[in-house]
Amino acid sequence: MGHNDDEIKISRDEEEENMAAWLLGIKTLKIQPYRLPSLGPQDVKVRIKALGICGSDVHHFKTMRCANFIVKKPMVIGHECAGIIEEIGSEVKSLEVGDRVALEPGISCRRCNLCKNGSYNLCPEMKFFGSPPTNGSLAHKVVHPANLCFKLPENVSLEEGAMCEPLSVGVHACRRATVGPETNVLIMGSGPIGLVTLLAARAFGAPRIVIVDVDGHRLSIAENLGADATVQVSTLEEDAVAEVVKIQNAMGSGIDVSFDCVGFNKTMSTALAATRSGGKVCLIGLAKSEMTVPLTPAAAREVDVIGIFRYRNTWPLCLEFLRTGKIDVKPLITHRFGFSQKEVEDAFETSAQGGNAIKVMFNL
Amino acid sequence: MGKGGMSLGEMKDGEEVNMAAWLMSLNTLKIQPFNLPPLGPYDVRVRMKAVGICGSDVHYLKTMRCADFVVKEPMVIGHECAGIIEEVGSEVKTLVPGDRVALEPGISCWRCNLCKEGRYNLCPEMKFFATPPVHGSLANQVVHPADLCFKLPENVSLEEGAMCEPLSVGVHACRRANIGPETNVLIMGAGPIGLVTLLAARAFGAPRIVIVDVDNYRLSVAKDLGADDIVKVSINLQDVAEEVAQIHKAMGRVDVSFDCAGFNKTMSTALSATHAGGKVCLVGMGHLEMTVPLTPAAAREVDVIGIFRYKNTWPLCLEFIRSGKIDVKPLITHRFGFSQKEVEEAFETSARGGTAIKVMFNL
Repeated sequence: MGHNDDEIKISRDEEEENMAAWLLGIKTLKIQPYRLPSLGPQDVKVRIKALGICGSDVHHFKTMRCANFIVKKPMVIGHECAGIIEEIGSEVKSLEVGDRVALEPGISCRRCNLCKNGSYNLCPEMKFFGSPPTNGSLAHKVVHPANLCFKLPENVSLEEGAMCEPLSVGVHACRRATVGPETNVLIMGSGPIGLVTLLAARAFGAPRIVIVDVDGHRLSIAENLGADATVQVSTLEEDAVAEVVKIQNAMGSGIDVSFDCVGFNKTMSTALAATRSGGKVCLIGLAKSEMTVPLTPAAAREVDVIGIFRYRNTWPLCLEFLRTGKIDVKPLITHRFGFSQKEVEDAFETSAQGGNAIKVMFNL
Repeated sequence: MGKGGMSLGEMKDGEEVNMAAWLMSLNTLKIQPFNLPPLGPYDVRVRMKAVGICGSDVHYLKTMRCADFVVKEPMVIGHECAGIIEEVGSEVKTLVPGDRVALEPGISCWRCNLCKEGRYNLCPEMKFFATPPVHGSLANQVVHPADLCFKLPENVSLEEGAMCEPLSVGVHACRRANIGPETNVLIMGAGPIGLVTLLAARAFGAPRIVIVDVDNYRLSVAKDLGADDIVKVSINLQDVAEEVAQIHKAMGRVDVSFDCAGFNKTMSTALSATHAGGKVCLVGMGHLEMTVPLTPAAAREVDVIGIFRYKNTWPLCLEFIRSGKIDVKPLITHRFGFSQKEVEEAFETSARGGTAIKVMFNL
């Protein structure tokens, strides 16, 4: 595998060999050929141009699993992507060759009750880029259903298109929590998901947003992105009570909705205690399987716990937010890499380190 | 003090002395005089006729506290009640002496944001019968706002009126969980709250209701009350997976679960058993801190809905009972009169649980 772009244009039977980044084992990524399925009548072939690394990609990389998903055989990694249409299936009418599109990763079955009732993100037969056993999209090209490819407005870049995926998590959470002009929002965690939730909450009209983290640098990013106030917290359970007070003071009035973008006992307990009676806590971060939390006192104040899993029907809204400038995701992209063996390895190292790295983006 | 059934208050200088059951200290109830406040223009004075005992009343008796509420001085106990209007305040137009009414226990402030939004059950200034420091209603008479007294339809008895209070918890839970003709319902716990939730869920149109408990007798009561299926479960956490399988076999898809017990195990079972996109309502207040598999549930968008008492439920409860859509009478298993000895026995009986579902005082 080569280091520069010329390498990838290997001709083979006059057709470019498609290459992808394969996860072969723990911390072992290798750029290798990736044979695409044939193009169905409702599919398109997309040349991937921008792809972001997600915490789940890193988790698969480090452990070969993520929750109940286990990588049992080599799998192409990556799912946050955008590219250019190269070929369209015979029945595709809404897209043309040359169109720039952002891709929604998950193909649901469209037949089960969950799909038919609109909760397709919960489909048990979901085939999702980079969730084993479905190959991901860190590749030159992928084949994907046309209805899951969304045309980018003129003024939205391919990198911003790729950012629609993480942004969708924030948008879906704000919808489920019914964030609006009267909901004061608390966000636990100022990592990539906390930050897209901040951007989404602002776009949904939240009047006041307080964000909380252990890391001072990440809090300053949040401030630059428009958080009304930040509170630095510790990892110690015994500090929770005092922190709840600080958080409530920072908000000023009642906290209507809290987003736990981390998912630890402490962040959840803090959110439950800080949220006003009748409010909601959204659990987005999926850090721990079993949690020990003061659920009963929260339930006794009718503070509801809303679960968030990925997103549904969010791309059009994300693209509109980006088109109008209501949301600017560009500051979240902190590191960029090309598509070569070394750069793929460096990119994952960088993303895994966290810290200054918010969103690591591949340009292909 | 009278000995059974209808007991009138004591007389003193030709005037009735209002008597009530006071919680004096741990495990100590005493019938003593209870001075009523003067009747305000919007108040009514009600002669109590039927008062049920709630699990929270028993908890106060045994521990002098319930969650964050602590009994610091003697307090009249009891809150599930109905009676007959004796006197109405000057501004009261909707009720007249002689009217039979069921009482909604809690007086909220009506001024705060929560009250004004209609979520008055969450009012921080709530004054609730027998939640310290507010006196309860196991007494000959109480004074109460007229707007919290609901006239009983002709065919609804005073005991059924008193049952509106626990029934309200089930009704409020069914509302918050959006129970309807397409929601299969799982109920954890076949005690009084599980049973009123069963009755309410049926009245809201739930097509299939499965109820679980550790106790066979309570499960048979549930079956008689119309549960479609029952599953006996254990108290062992390691049995959760097996029990979820049994529940799915009995139900098919579980859309809404009501945890009317509130323990780690019941909550874990409910979270695992409920279908993606469904809801788990936490009604029972067993444990303060819970260790539960919250994340797998959240990752299936199974939401956890909290239930605290009720709001705006009396009219609906009375209509359900009037029309026969709900029959609460089978829940009343034991009856006692208002005397020192009977009050003590009644609480003993209620505390024992088992075959005692709802213990009712007739005054």
